Amino acid sequence: MNTNMWLIRREFWENRAIWLLPAVFGAMLIVAALFGHVQLPALTSPNEIHTFGAAFLVAFGLMFYTVMSVYATWYLLDCLYADRKDRSILFWKSLPISDTDTVISKLIVALIVIPVVSFVAADITALLAAFIVSIRLRASIGSTLWQPDVWLQMQVLWIYTVFTAAIWYLPVAGWLMLVSAWAKRAVILWSFLPPLVLYIIERWFLGTNVVGRVISRRLTGLPAVALNTSGGKSWHVDGDTLTLPSSVFHFINPSGFFASPQVWIGAAVGVALIIAAIQLRMRRSEI
Amino acid sequence: MALLIEARDLTKKYGAHVALDRANLKIEAGRIVGLIGPNGAGKTTALRAILGLTSYEGQLTVLGREPLRQRTSLMQDACFIADVAVLPAWLRVDQAIDFVAAVHPRFRRDRATGFLAKTQILGHRRMRELSKGMKTQVHLALTMAIDAKLFVLDEPTLGLDILARRTFYDALVNDYMDETRTILITTHQVEEVENLLTDLIFIDKGRIVLDSSLEDVATRFVAVAVAADRLDAGRAAKPFYERQILGKSELYFENADREKLAPFGELRTPSVADLFVAKLSGGAA
Repeated sequence: MNTNMWLIRREFWENRAIWLLPAVFGAMLIVAALFGHVQLPALTSPNEIHTFGAAFLVAFGLMFYTVMSVYATWYLLDCLYADRKDRSILFWKSLPISDTDTVISKLIVALIVIPVVSFVAADITALLAAFIVSIRLRASIGSTLWQPDVWLQMQVLWIYTVFTAAIWYLPVAGWLMLVSAWAKRAVILWSFLPPLVLYIIERWFLGTNVVGRVISRRLTGLPAVALNTSGGKSWHVDGDTLTLPSSVFHFINPSGFFASPQVWIGAAVGVALIIAAIQLRMRRSEI
Repeated sequence: MALLIEARDLTKKYGAHVALDRANLKIEAGRIVGLIGPNGAGKTTALRAILGLTSYEGQLTVLGREPLRQRTSLMQDACFIADVAVLPAWLRVDQAIDFVAAVHPRFRRDRATGFLAKTQILGHRRMRELSKGMKTQVHLALTMAIDAKLFVLDEPTLGLDILARRTFYDALVNDYMDETRTILITTHQVEEVENLLTDLIFIDKGRIVLDSSLEDVATRFVAVAVAADRLDAGRAAKPFYERQILGKSELYFENADREKLAPFGELRTPSVADLFVAKLSGGAA
């Protein structure tokens, strides 16, 4: 356990972007809140006020999560490749740390640590931005941006998102790590070339599109599986008005998520890919 | 004596290329063994196999373990420096010490900091800011602070200037070596390690061509400087190698009767470097 903690700490030393990137991105948003044009709509209905407050926070969460997902993708592609390239793997392997622990620590950083960092950064930035906007517009505390229940509900949504995304994207992370442990060069190219070739072969020779559908569903399908997107209690657009569910618990759909075979098939594929990456890590030391 | 490393028919192929060809090795505890061979002879491959960094065919036991499958536990009792330039550029000296101290049960922090205190290296420096010689010192400080039974060094001084090399070997001899430790070192700079070693292993084209203690070398091998008029007689005694120096021919013999060779000329025990050249160009193993 102690070793695993130090392995994760090590990742922070090596990959300072894990905290520098959200810090810089957050600072940019703060600067925008300080000097940009800000305006709050005049809202009267409780539903509108609730929806605006929630949308404000979701926007921050989504921005940080998107930026950090791009970074996490790069991190996963690089994490078992960089130390083979600069040969520092020979130092790490001279220590009594198993390859399984090493690979798992990097997986945890990508699927848990980086998303948690992004949501914490989103919360802090949103809090500061709400404060700045309130002062600039002389809006009272307790206005649309200051709804404690909405803030708390968003934390539930963040935790739920981190948890479900970690399971949902396991096969994607496993594939990226396998490429990272395997490739002698051009990790980015190798990450998408084999699936692309499979896709093209399938289209040409069979005329079907199973590979493309599986991949695109995996990359974009998480909200459909993890969130309630139908039914009157969920979010809906009515003309110009967006209505969000009154409670986050109507929005998230854990029972649906865990009942989905897609989730479990994907997780099994992910575990297999990660085991393969560990095996490669054992045998490949240098490029 | 307890066997620390035992390899039988150790073989490693990269496609059609055979890097190790049924190599047999036995290394006892408490020895300082030089694994010596030309570039591409299989030295590094042998070390990689011993350290559990690569797969192999044949049988290999290191400290009672199967290296590839039990590398994690092996690394509690063995440590290695595979070339000096492998500390990651982003790592700070104090981070390196903290990390190794946290993950290695046999690491003695005071030894590492004591060693570094004698140098000009500051704790907050990153490896990318250090010269190659300084990086060597950091790596040595980290490695020598580990109470290991086996210490493996692969071309430890490659790319270092003469000053840094001397520092390296002085530290190794003065601060580290004692009878409880076994050191396995590969190099093609034979002269540099000659005075250090107790055992010699020559490797060429993936095969072990000599495995002997230095004392045995002195009795097994003899070089005779033969004048031109006695050359035919000398050659008749079947030397395994012959070379020309200063107008004389020097003939190399293995397991020969010294009294019979004495009439041909002056006898001497070949240096490790001479023996290396003789063994590898002579062909007869």
